[in-house]
Formats: sequence, C-alpha cells, structure tokens
Amino acid sequence: MHFHMIIVAVFWFGFVDSRKIRGISSSYKRFFRERKSFLCIDGSKIIPFEQVNDDYCDCEDGSDEPGTSACPQGRFYCTNLGFRPHYIPSSRVNDGICDCCDASDEYNSHAHCQNACWNLGQRERAYVEGQMRTLDEGLQLKQQLIEEGVLLWREKQAQLRELQQVAEDLQTKLEERRSRKQEADRLKEQTPRPPEAGDGRLFRGQNSTVTGTFKLLDSNKDGSITVDEVQAKVALVHDEERVLSEDEAVALLGGDHQMDLTTFQHTLWDILTNGGRVKIKDTHGAPGVGEDPPLKVADREWEATNLKKVEEAYDTVNMEISDLREKLAIDYGPDWEFLFLNSQCYKLKVYERWGMWEGPPKNQYGRMVYENGEPCWQGGSRSTTVTLTCGTETALRSVKEPSKCQYIMDFQTPVACQPVLKQRGIHSEL
Amino acid sequence: MGGVKRSIIKMATFTGSMAPVLVLWLAMSLSGTWAVDKGNFKTCDQSAFCKRQRALKPGDSPYRALLETMELTNTRLTLQLINDNNKVRLLLELYRLQGNMTRVKINELKPLKPRFEVPDVLITEPSTEPLSLLSQDENGVVLSLGTESQRVIISARPFRLDIMEGPEVLMSLNSRGLLAFEHLRMRKDTFSYKVTSTVASVWDNIKRLFSSQAEPEGEKKEEADPANQAEKEEEEKVDGMWEETFKSHSDSKPNGPSAISLDFSLPGVEHVYGIPEHADTLRLKTTDNGDPYRLYNLDVFQYELYNPMALYGAVPVMLAHKAQRTTGIFWLNAAETWVDISSNTAGKTVFGKMLDYVQGSSETPQTDVRWISESGIIDVFIMLGPTPKDVFSQYASLTGTQSFPPLAAVGYHQCRWNYNDQEDVASVDAGFDEHDIPYDYIWLDIEHTDGKRYFTWDSHKFASPKEMLQALEDKKRKMVAIVDPHIKVDSNYKIHNEIRNKGFYIKNKDGGDYEGWCWPGSAGYPDFTRPDMRAWWASMFAYDQYEGTAENLYTWNDMNEPSVFNGPEVTMHKDAVHGAWEHRDVHNLYGLYVQMATAEGQIQRSGGVERPFVLTRAFFAGSQRYGAVWTGDNAAEWDHLKVSIPMCLSLGLVGISFCGADVGGFFKSPSTELLVRWYQTGAYQPFFRAHAHLDTPRREPWLFGPENTALIRDVVRQRYTLLPYWYQQFYHAYRTGEPIMRPLWVEYPQDPATFALDDEFLIGKDLLVHPVTEEGARGVTAYLPGKDQVWFDVHTFQKHNGAQSLYIPVTMSSIPVFQRGGSIIPRKMRVRRSSSCMTHDPYTLYVALNLQRTAEGELYIDDGHTFNYEKKEFIHRRLSFAKNMLSSVNLATDAEFSTGSWIERIVILGASKPSKVTLKTADGQESQLEFDFDASMSVLTLRKPGVNAGLDWNVMLQ
Repeated sequence: MHFHMIIVAVFWFGFVDSRKIRGISSSYKRFFRERKSFLCIDGSKIIPFEQVNDDYCDCEDGSDEPGTSACPQGRFYCTNLGFRPHYIPSSRVNDGICDCCDASDEYNSHAHCQNACWNLGQRERAYVEGQMRTLDEGLQLKQQLIEEGVLLWREKQAQLRELQQVAEDLQTKLEERRSRKQEADRLKEQTPRPPEAGDGRLFRGQNSTVTGTFKLLDSNKDGSITVDEVQAKVALVHDEERVLSEDEAVALLGGDHQMDLTTFQHTLWDILTNGGRVKIKDTHGAPGVGEDPPLKVADREWEATNLKKVEEAYDTVNMEISDLREKLAIDYGPDWEFLFLNSQCYKLKVYERWGMWEGPPKNQYGRMVYENGEPCWQGGSRSTTVTLTCGTETALRSVKEPSKCQYIMDFQTPVACQPVLKQRGIHSEL
Repeated sequence: MGGVKRSIIKMATFTGSMAPVLVLWLAMSLSGTWAVDKGNFKTCDQSAFCKRQRALKPGDSPYRALLETMELTNTRLTLQLINDNNKVRLLLELYRLQGNMTRVKINELKPLKPRFEVPDVLITEPSTEPLSLLSQDENGVVLSLGTESQRVIISARPFRLDIMEGPEVLMSLNSRGLLAFEHLRMRKDTFSYKVTSTVASVWDNIKRLFSSQAEPEGEKKEEADPANQAEKEEEEKVDGMWEETFKSHSDSKPNGPSAISLDFSLPGVEHVYGIPEHADTLRLKTTDNGDPYRLYNLDVFQYELYNPMALYGAVPVMLAHKAQRTTGIFWLNAAETWVDISSNTAGKTVFGKMLDYVQGSSETPQTDVRWISESGIIDVFIMLGPTPKDVFSQYASLTGTQSFPPLAAVGYHQCRWNYNDQEDVASVDAGFDEHDIPYDYIWLDIEHTDGKRYFTWDSHKFASPKEMLQALEDKKRKMVAIVDPHIKVDSNYKIHNEIRNKGFYIKNKDGGDYEGWCWPGSAGYPDFTRPDMRAWWASMFAYDQYEGTAENLYTWNDMNEPSVFNGPEVTMHKDAVHGAWEHRDVHNLYGLYVQMATAEGQIQRSGGVERPFVLTRAFFAGSQRYGAVWTGDNAAEWDHLKVSIPMCLSLGLVGISFCGADVGGFFKSPSTELLVRWYQTGAYQPFFRAHAHLDTPRREPWLFGPENTALIRDVVRQRYTLLPYWYQQFYHAYRTGEPIMRPLWVEYPQDPATFALDDEFLIGKDLLVHPVTEEGARGVTAYLPGKDQVWFDVHTFQKHNGAQSLYIPVTMSSIPVFQRGGSIIPRKMRVRRSSSCMTHDPYTLYVALNLQRTAEGELYIDDGHTFNYEKKEFIHRRLSFAKNMLSSVNLATDAEFSTGSWIERIVILGASKPSKVTLKTADGQESQLEFDFDASMSVLTLRKPGVNAGLDWNVMLQ
C-alpha cells in the first residue's frame, strides 16, 4: 500500500517537473513547448532539451537556464502569487538570500525562506489604499490650489495691466515734462542771467492782482479764504498732484481756519509770490498765475527736479512690470498650481529664486533643481534637488546632504498629486 | 582619510574662538598648489642627527676591530670595536642564521644606559647555524658560513666586514668607513654641569664613572681626557645634540646624541628596491643630489610624488638585485631613519655604459647604501638569497608572512568619508543591488562616532547599528568602522577614563599624560608599546564592550603614525615617554602595535575562531601579520593612479602583500575616465577599496551614466570571477611570504628588461597586468617576459610570444591582462552580490598551455573565514595538464574539508581539437564530456565535468 503511494507520488512529481520550466513567466512558455530540443531565444544555438535548466549555461543569451544561476546574463521569474511578479538576475538564484517573496529562488540553498507574498500583498494593498486616499484628498486640495492659483494669476495679470496703464500715463507726463524742461533750458540760454528787476516786475505785476488772487482763492466769495478753499486751489510746487492736508492748509492760513484780504496781502500772498513751496494750482483762467512765463523762469530748477521725479516713477513702475512679467513667465505648472508656493519659505530657504523643473519626461514637475547657490568652502557652489511628492499638506519632509553642499530635499504637496498615477497591479493570477 | 587639512576644518568647527585664525591659515594654504607643504617636514639638513651623520664622508673608518677580544661559540661570534678618535668601545655580534642569513649586531660595549632594541617584530628568536673559524691573523679573521663556500672576512684595521661566496664579494659592511655610533654621554654644556664641575669631588665621581664606561681595565687612563676634550669641541661645533628645534617645536633630547650609521656596498648591483613607504618609482634612485630616503611614519597632507619624503609607514628592508643574485638588508631599527643610495653607474648614459663595454674599461657596477638612524642599536639581517624567492622566505622567517584574510576582504570595498547615516548606508547598499555590482564591505569613517569618540556611535545618525549590521548580514555583506588611536580627553568618555585611570597614556617629557590635537580636539594617545595596554585595547572589541557591534563589523585603524595635528611634523614629540623609552626610539613601531592590538581584539571577540580584518595606514616590518595596508591620502590625479603600482609593489617586496590605493583618489574629484581607469587598476591590486574625501561629490559606481556604470560593473565582476585565484595567492603569501602583486623581475630575475618595470606587474606568477594609467590612452605597450614563453590575453584568448614589447590598442573597456602559458587559473563565473554568496558555486578552470603543451595550477578551498585552515581543514589540490591529460591531485593529504563546489567548465587555451574527451573520477567511473572547439583562437571548452572540486579526477583528450 505504502509502496504504491510512493510510486504514485514519484510519478506525479515527475510529471509536474517535466511540464513546468522553473523561472519563466507564462508568456515565455511557448519557447519551451517543444520537448526534444531547445532553440536559444536569440536563435543562436539549438541544444537538447535535457540541457534546459541543467545548471550549465549553453545559450549566450542565458535563455536555456531561466531557473538556475548558471548564466551570467540570465534572469529568473518570481511568480510571487499574492504579490507582484518580477524578474531577478540569475545570480540571485540559490545564493542563500530570499529574493522572491514566494521563496522560489532558493529551492536549493541553505536559506530558510518563508512565503511572504500574501503578507507583502496585504501590506502593499494597505499601502496602496493609503496612497489612494492621500491621492484623492491631495487632488481635491490641488483643485483648490489650482483655483486659487488661477485667481492669483488673474489678479497678477490685472495688476500687470494696471501697472502698464500707469506706465503709459507716466510716459505721457514724462514727455510733457521733458518738453517743458527743454523750454526752460532754452529760456535759460536766451537770458543767461535773469535780471534782478524781474522780481520787481513780478511783484508789480502781481501786486495789482492781490485782490484778484484773493478772489480766485475765495471760491465761495464770502470774503475770507477757508481751509477747504486752500486745499482746492493751492498746491506744493514739488508735487502738484497732492492735495494739501488740513494741517498744511491751516499752516498756510497762519494757524487759523480762515483769512481775510488784509491778512492775505501780508502773509499768504508773500508766500505765493516769492516762489517758495506752494503755488496756485494750474487751473485755466487763473489770472496772473500758472502760465506766467516769468514764474517759470524762476522755477527752472524745479522743472528739472520734477522731470527727475517723473523719470524715477516711470522707472520704478517699469521695474515692477518686468518683475511681475518675469514671475508670470515662470512655469508654475499647467494650471498655475505651483503659483501659491511663490515667495513661500519652507524652513530652509535656499534661494530666493525659482529652480528649474528637472523631473523625468513622465513627471516633469516631480523634481526641481537649484544650482549656483552660495559658494561652498573648498570650491564649488551649493546646489539643491527638491523632490516633490503627493501629500495632503505642503511641507518639507527631509533635507539631506549626501555630498558636501549638495542637498536633497523631500517636499510634499498636494499639487504634486497626479490623477494619472496608475498603480502597478497586484498580481493575482496563476 | 584625511590629513592636516581635515583637522583644520574640524578644529574650526569646535573652537569658535580659534576659527578666525584658522580660516586665515586655510586661506594661505589654499592659495598655493595642491601639493604637500614641504616646509612642514624635515629635510636631512633640518634633522640634526641626519645632518651630523651625512657630514661624515667616505674614508678611513676610525673603528678598529680588537681581534684579541674575539669570542667564538658554535653559533655566535663577538668582538669589540674601538673608535680610535674617542676610544669608545662597541660590541659586535655576528650570527649565522638558518636559511642563508647573517645577523650583525653592534651596540656600545657599556652604554651609559641601555639602548633600545626593537621588540615584537621578529616572530621568534631566529635559529642560528654553526660558524667556524677558517683562519685568523693580526689583520683579520675568516669565518665559514656553512656549506656554500660562503665566508665572512672581518678586517681589523680599519674595521670592515665582507661576505663572500667563492671569489665573489656579496656585500661589504663599513667598506666606505661610515660606521658611526654616537655613544651615550653625560651632558657637559648645561648649567648643572657647570655647577657640578665646580664641586671637585662630584666631578671626580662622574669622571670616574665616565672613564669606567669608556675604558675597560688596562687601558691607559690619560687617553680619556683628550677624547673628552674632542667630544666637547664636537658638541660646541655641532648644534642639535642636546636640543633641537623645528618650526615652533622643541625636542629636549635628555639623552643627547645617540645616532648610528653603517654603510653597505653591493658589488655588481645596479638595482635596489624596497624601504617603503615612498611615493616613488619601484627601482630606488640614487640620493647623491638630494635628500636620502626617509623612514619616519608621518601623516603627510597631500603628499607629493616621486621624491624620497617619508610617508605613513616604514619598512627598513632593502632588496638588491642583479641577474645572478638577489640579496636583502633588514635594518631592524624603529627610530627615524634615512637611507642614502649611491651608485658608480648612476648618471652614466646608456651610451656611456656601451663605451665602457667597448673600451673594456669595465668598472664593476656597484651600489652603495648607507643607513642612518637616530637611536637604538645596529641590528641588521643580511639576507643572502640567492633567488628573489629565497629572500622572501628569509625575511618571512624573521618577521612572519601576510596574515590570511577572510575571503570577503579580498572582494570589493565601498568607502567614503562619510556615509552619513543608516539610511545612507541602506541606500548605497541597495544601489549595488539595483545596478548588479557586487561588493563585500561598506565602510564608515570618523563621522559615525559620537563626537570622534571611537567605540561609540552617533546616536542620531546611527541609532540602531545592530539593525544596520543585520540588514547587511542578510545580504551576506559586512561593514568596517574606523577606530583611531587618539582618544578624546573627556571625563564622560569611558574609554578615556579607563586609559587614564590605568595610566595607559603615553607621557609627556614632564611626566603628565601626553595630549595632542586630533579629530576629537584634545586627545590622549594610549601607549600601545605596553602589552597590558594592548590586552586592554583588545578586550574593548568584545561585543559587550563595543556596543552596537556584530560579527560582520570589522575595523580600520587610521592616524596611527601617530598623527598629532599640533605636533612636530604632525606627529608626536620625540621626547614623549613610553615607560623606559622615548617616543624617539619606538616611533615607527607605534602603528604596528595599534593594528596588532586591534586584530587581536577581533580574534578574541570570536573566541579565537574568526579571522580578523584590520586596515592600517601606518606600518612597520612585521605589519603584514595583522592585516591590510593602504597608501593613505592620495589624490584624484593620473600620476597618483600610476604611482599606486610601484607603491604596492614595494610593499609586497618587503612582505606586505595586502596593499591597495584609494580607488578614485582621496582628495579632489576624479574625471569619469580617471575613475573608470582606477577601478580597472584597483580590481587587479590586492586591496580593492574606493574611497573619497568629505568635500568631494558622491562617486558611487552608478553616478556617471549607464555606460560608465557598465564599465565599472564589468571590472568589479572580473575581480569576483578571479576571487578563487586571488584567495589562493593570499594562501600562498601566508605560507611563503612571497608577494602577491609582484614586479616582473621576481619571476624573470635574469631578464634585465624587467628590472625597472613598474607600470605593469604580476599577480602571483600567472597573471600579468598592464593597467591603462594614461589619460586618453589609445594603446599601451606591455612587456611580456620570458623567452619560450607564451601569454594569452584573458579577454580575447589571443596568444602572444614572450620576451617582447607588445603594443595593445585599448578602448575604455580594456584592461590588458594576460595569463601565462603553462598555468591553470580557477575562476567562479557566477558573480553574485558578495563573495559569501558565491561560496558553493562551481569552478571554471582556465588551462593555458605553454609551448610544451603542459600547464600547472592549484586550487585552494576552505571555509573562507575561520582559523580552521590552521587545523588542516582545507582542500589544496594540484591541477596539471600534460600529455593531453588534465588531472587534479591532492596536495595536502593530511588536510580535510568538504565543499559543495564542482567543476563546471574547463577552458583550454592553445588547444587542438580532440575527437573525444573522457572524464575519469576517483571511483574509476568514466564518462564522455561534450566539448566545443573554437578553431580561430584554439580554445577548447569542456562542458560540465560536474565532478566535485575536492576529489581526484582526470580528463583525457583523445
């Protein structure tokens, strides 16, 4: 009875052995179908079928020994039922180290390998589920950030447009100022030394209009100038645009809130006519002021200062524009999803500037490289590679310095979540 | 590992207040070139004793042999020598040693106090052989040195010693009259001397004492006074006898002058080798126009090439070679030593030599050598060969052979200053698997410790070292962690406290514990010359002492010259005290002792079962017994790659076979081409380790693009296929003392074309390697030695004739390697993750036939890691091919070991096609083997003999 069972067992094992070629995937079975001889898969040689997996390498491509360590170029297929299948180099077959989780690589060694595929599979599934949750959550957050990014983008665009408008206005003004300065310079050339009498002439001319000027200022014609009226009609020589503050207006009114003609003649009139800090605003029809050429001659230098001011303002605005343009030209990802990171500091602010996206083609935004950083002792400059991974919050996970002054940062953020991320399938067939 | 510059960085970081000064210093040192700052190291002129001794010119020796004092026992001759200038007497001892050696010892007859004699270097008191007196007259003595018509002639006036064989003088001592012996004396120019000299009675006492030292009874007393006078004048004339200052360092020299010197003449010799460590050519140069070669273990920062400056280690052994004979001189002295070499043919052009020949004015070529040491005695072993291998065996009988390393240590080592943390180690380890490159050891430099406290781990970076080691063990890989001999002075550090409490530290001249600066800041230096200190140190490697360690953790001893950043010449003050001796006496021994104690610790922790593996930077004669040596802090430059060959060849000649250079170069960053070429060279040198400075970018093999990764993978795999051959070479070196990596002249001693070759070498006797060490090389010219010899390119199997220079075109993948026709080399072709993974793998035998169609080789197998081979647990077989039959026979019938390995394949180079191949096993079974014949290259491959590698078998070709 026992005897019979052994025979059956031997027969059965023999049968299985002859059918199953160790170390191949099902897709390779067709190469081993013929049972008399074996053609090396590269077609280089035909060998008797007994020499397949006989622990001697006959084929240069290693195809005759998929299940042994005999061929230097060979590979062994771990079926890994319950986990995922993969190839290992033949040199890892029977080397005493468990490489396949199903222990199939150590069929003739001292290693005590347990089949760990199910556990690994469990763990992997749990991990993948966790990853999927993170991904879902991350993608939602990413959507928000994209929306915010778009808004921010639009805002920045609007800002840019606004600035461009200001720049245009400034340019107009600049041209105007320039021509006025040229005019002033021309006058200066014609009258190299403005006569002292000019002042007298001015005073005389103005004298007759003390009353006229008072009336001009006294908008409501009630016989006294008020703070409101001063604010409306008087301006700083340096900054015509600015409205005087109440305090400044009160100061011009001699500390009071109103002023009659008599006081005006002895105080404010003097201030207005001696070309000091304030003047009557350039309003059309203002008698005796504004277009008064003698006054312009006197204020030649102020013209130059004005021009400079406008030029500076123009330059500033243009710089802001180019700055903004530069920032807007940065690649913030297809949906401006990385825009929110701009000017953010995550613990270690390596550079003010935005690095270069250097991820692999499939995941271009997966890695960013910063180069030419601060100089490093012993030559070279610092550089940093930031790896972006999907996560539910935006945070710096780790910073390493594998070589001196070369840093690697692990940066987690929802915007690195990719909806196309496809999980490698967990093997369940065979 | 680092030198001085490293110290600066570190010091700047730990002492804020010093930082500005140090930065300035740095800026200054950086502004220069990369080379060594020579000003930090002494020239002969700056080393007082060397200057004094070198000032003596060849001429009549003041020494006279007092033949009437001669005593001859069966094995020992003694006689007194007297210096006619100062009447100081010396005692000469002469021994005939077993194995064709003569030992000459010269000491003061009655020194004021004992002079240092080097202990622990000789493995045993050498066995003597009888000496007999042949003749004697008033001019001298002739002694017979045993059977080979060898004689020693001792001439009396002046003293001179000639060793003859037949009519030929093999070597002469003091033939140029440069024997000098500065006897110990009382100081006469000091304050205390002056005070004492006013007190007549005390002075008389001293004088009496002095006279009795200098003069034996019966000598005329008045002779002492003029001698004394002369001495005093000498001291006044010559500085540095009682005190010496170098840079800001003062050497107090409490014992005064004590230098010794002796010259050796080598008739017929034009080639001398050895006396490592120097970054110089294999063939030593004459030193007439510069400094002598210096032997003084020093931590030289960014050493310069092709000069005689001292480096990290010292082996005072020189080999002299001419076509008919090889001899050796072993100068057993551990103090600072300088070696002068001159030659009467040096400087003569080839044309000049030819002219001599044509005109018949053939002055015999001769090389003269002169040794100068600062203290100790003259103790010299003259090894008389006559063959190179005889000299190796003679030297091995004195100082022992290369320790037999664990097999894994012969594999590839991946090192860097530093692998930062456990994660880093894990990722580098994984990188090797990912790129399918084998390696055996990953190394941790000083940053792994808790603040440079050796025997500890940084608890943040290496929180669970045992887990890390287990992870490596799971892949059958190992680790080396550094343990340096400078100990941080820190009362919270156990190691320091124990050493201090036990009084184990070296003392300064004033009796306190010596302190110097090194990596940890202020550090003490354990006195490794003390056996009790070494025993304690060894006990610190026990698993319960050295926490976080496991069986697969091994050790690296660096900075053991010792390196003292703020010491004279970056080492210890010579007046530091080791018990009865000064550091001056023992300096060159320190590194040997450190490695000795460390290796002993590793042996003890396994209960004496496992072989140790310890790498050292400093070394001395005998260091071969304790592990491996590397050539220190080299640089990523082509010249450094080139010089790695003569440097390791020189070490091999003096017994230290386990040698390598940092692959890639330590300082600076190698170009990809240089890195690949260095891997190709390093893979064929005994110790194969890549290493890099902290400041350099990463250079693990896979960081230079797939093409270069493939090139490096390929050559590392070549190393692993050859491990059986390498391992067998290590076994052979352990048994015989022969070098593993050897110059061609060792195997072809009669071929003058090989005498100066140092751009190629042999591994054992069967593999010839000519690495590519030129940038952008398109080809190399290799000399293939041996008339009637053939060599097979191991990659193409192409056959080349010997005794020719062969131009070999090369590409980036080429490593010109040739197998000697007449040899059989075993390989394992299944290269796995580490050497341990390959233990049970089968062998492929490469049989390269010579013109007689024969070949011989060996196969050695043991467990690869224990001392059980000492208990005869191994397989050692002779493989021989003759008369169309290849057979395996047992070479060690008293040994026993079983292996699972079998013979997978036999490749016969230079074969013709057989009609039938028959395998016959020990039990008489016969079977036919399939075979494949490549007619274009005459390569016959026998398929799968399948027989166990430990058994008898033969294969017949018909």
